Amino acid sequence: MLTAVLVPESLDAARAALADEARPLAGGTYLMPRLNDHATPPTRLVSLRRVGLDGIAVTADTVSIGATTTLARIEDDERLAVLHSCIRSIAARPVRTLATVAGNLFVRQPYGDLAVALLALGADVEIRGGAGPRTLPLDRMLSAGLAADELVTGVRFDRPAVFRYHKAGRRRFNSASIVTVAAVLSVADGVVHDARVALGGLAPRPLRCEPAERALVGRPLDEASVRAAAHAADPLIEPVDDAYASAWYRRRVFPVHLRRALLGH
Amino acid sequence: MPSQIVTLTVNGSPQELIAHPSTTLLRALRENLGLTGTKRGCAQGACGTCTVLLDGEPVVSCLVPVVTVDGAEVTTVEGLADADGGLSPLQQAFLDNFAQQCGFCTPGMLMTSCALLRRTPAPTRDEVDEGLSGNVCRCTGYEPIVAAVLDAAGRTSAEVGS
Amino acid sequence: MAPINPRVNPIDHDYFPHERRGSFSVIGSTVQRADAHGHVTGRTRFFEDTAPRGLLHLKVHRTTRHHARINSVDVTAARQVPGVVAVLTHEDVPNNWYTVLRLIGIEPDDEPVLAEDRVLYRGEPIVAVVAETEEAAWDGAGRVVVDYTDLPAVLDVEEALAPGAPVIKQAGTNYFVYEGHHCRRVRFGDVEAGFAAADHVFSWTYGSAPIEHAPTETTGCIVVPQGDGRLRIHSNTQAAFFTLDNTALIIGRPFADLQVVGGTVGGGFGGKVDVMVEPLACIAATVTNRPVQYSYSREEEMQVSSPRAAERIVITDGVLDDGSIVARKVVLYVDAGAYSRHSPYGTTKAAAHFPGPYTIPHVHIDAHCVYTNRTPSSAMRGFGVTIGDFALESQMDRIARELDMDPLELRLKNAYRDGDVKAHRKVASGTGLIEVIQRAADLVGHELAAESRLLSSTTPREG
Repeated sequence: MLTAVLVPESLDAARAALADEARPLAGGTYLMPRLNDHATPPTRLVSLRRVGLDGIAVTADTVSIGATTTLARIEDDERLAVLHSCIRSIAARPVRTLATVAGNLFVRQPYGDLAVALLALGADVEIRGGAGPRTLPLDRMLSAGLAADELVTGVRFDRPAVFRYHKAGRRRFNSASIVTVAAVLSVADGVVHDARVALGGLAPRPLRCEPAERALVGRPLDEASVRAAAHAADPLIEPVDDAYASAWYRRRVFPVHLRRALLGH
Repeated sequence: MPSQIVTLTVNGSPQELIAHPSTTLLRALRENLGLTGTKRGCAQGACGTCTVLLDGEPVVSCLVPVVTVDGAEVTTVEGLADADGGLSPLQQAFLDNFAQQCGFCTPGMLMTSCALLRRTPAPTRDEVDEGLSGNVCRCTGYEPIVAAVLDAAGRTSAEVGS
Repeated sequence: MAPINPRVNPIDHDYFPHERRGSFSVIGSTVQRADAHGHVTGRTRFFEDTAPRGLLHLKVHRTTRHHARINSVDVTAARQVPGVVAVLTHEDVPNNWYTVLRLIGIEPDDEPVLAEDRVLYRGEPIVAVVAETEEAAWDGAGRVVVDYTDLPAVLDVEEALAPGAPVIKQAGTNYFVYEGHHCRRVRFGDVEAGFAAADHVFSWTYGSAPIEHAPTETTGCIVVPQGDGRLRIHSNTQAAFFTLDNTALIIGRPFADLQVVGGTVGGGFGGKVDVMVEPLACIAATVTNRPVQYSYSREEEMQVSSPRAAERIVITDGVLDDGSIVARKVVLYVDAGAYSRHSPYGTTKAAAHFPGPYTIPHVHIDAHCVYTNRTPSSAMRGFGVTIGDFALESQMDRIARELDMDPLELRLKNAYRDGDVKAHRKVASGTGLIEVIQRAADLVGHELAAESRLLSSTTPREG
């Protein structure tokens, strides 16, 4: 049962409120369904809607997005076209109007496609805790988590030359992920020089897939190298059965979707 | 924590209500303000039935604790018709295209479509499909709903043109 | 501006011209729905749009077990939740039996309104908690403590019928008994003789999973006690009088004590005919003398509202080289789940629907209505028929493939015609299947043989 919903107007006030055994509430699209229509222990929420963490800053080289920026706002910002195919693959507009960037980092797979994209983009996460601000690479934050008194305040990444994103769902729009692939590749003289590959829908958390990256670097980007990358990724993925697909199916179709993401067919 | 007073502007009228922490925007509209046109479908944010416009943008109102949106402007299905009760072009298009069967998803469909047409006044069929993808019609009457939205877009642009 | 409606289909005058008398004024024209204006303005009143003062909420404690004996139920903690005003167990239900078919004489009564000494499926209701708010009702329901002894669960229809299977039903059999028989049967001709005379015998098995209706509006009702002692039931039932009668029987009051306000249903598809919520809400309203709402959450709608039954169907056909089907044997297992609800009726419908719209001289049908420890299944859009048709028409396609025949020609050859005697000894009339296939072939550009074009459902079959 919700016993309190606080709406602080600054980050410091939010952190103070959270210290009193409360949970942060961003867009609520993951948390609220688990509170509605269920018997739940007494729960205090601290809404981050008014703490001033929303906003988008874009320079020639970098993108910074505030933690509570909604997915809809990214969708409406032409400067962030690189993220649009990802954003439009997540839920539908009436949910994207609520869902936030930081919230998307903490939801369980097969949700959290933006986190997959940000992982491939090599994003850093800006964090604020009792010991002051710090910055952590997203993949580190996903594995290590946050301290109890910390909040994500934003994400930052370098604008990629080419960004590849491909999501397979149960239907064309508004489906959780069966397989999500996001990748930043640099290819010169027909050879992959650098690769960052992230996967969704294939493990409890978004996966940065370094074995697949190593299988690509130094080779031409073609059917053979992509097949090798899928093969290298296979021991890393740990898909689960859910209402969208079986673990078996996800593992079986993963190479196809990796190919579609990287080669476009 | 005690209940608190929340102020909203709903369909153009200022409204005050007393909200418990667990009062969602959906429940505030239906139970505190008596605006029962907005329907509860899943309370999970999955079906789009409870969609309203919050500061002009469509949201699933079942996921919004109302105390977090104090001061907001809200538009519900009751706010679509004009003051004399004349239907909006979108409502009329839903009527003329038989874009409802049981009618339960209709308010949410209308609000999502309303927001879609504001963002994209002349959508393609594909854009309507994508725009309505968060609204479930279990009578599976999607085709006439899509036709109604496209029809409404045509009527609105005809009005603007004349 | 003239209304646009591109979806008015013209009347097809090519077939049965002499059967058309007079002119139609509605078919083929555009008629606006009476309820459409209410739908687009949000003014249509669904049951939950009733907002009586002092409304209480009822939520149910459901079992987490598939099959278990109940040793004890402790509601002490539920009663102590602030806002809880009443806690109901089976002892508070005057006639603790759901049997939606009892008014048409189908017995035995087999499903308690609230569980007594056992539970037969996960989600079966045990205790109802009535509270000032939904949250308090959920909280109270969550604090009921039930002590169980688990029993072996039966989760497959054929395992339920196998010798030595645990008997899960108090009536003594894991199947519904039809007038002394273990299944609903149809016997016509001599199917074994038909198989012996056939050039080919094809036997294939078809299966389906349960299908949930998932109406956008979940099942629910609001019951409002009236000043004269009657109860007004605002319900989204698809069957208002059915609801009235069954509720009155369960709560032990005269039919005239109840008034059902219904007819506006936010999606039903057969899922809202089982009378599951109104009896408890009526009892709670009587006990508290206050209005009570009992609505399923989405999770309850998915877990415990009755789905379309899972079916398993074995069809064995004797077929001549020219495609004539001379014998058809169907063995059907309908998974009723833990309780009867409408499944004995649906199984009879299935038996009546086989062998499909084909004239076959030797027919043998066994339709089993089987109990398992799964969510009770019930009505859904053509239940008993829909899955059977999937199986029958899949069978027809497979036979056509085996014989290298055009699948439409195979159907035309066997299609029933006016005057044919069906397996149930009824004389077919108004059949029209041949003409429908002919027109469907035209519409998809599928060529038919010249002699197939000449067939007519009103021309008696030769021989």
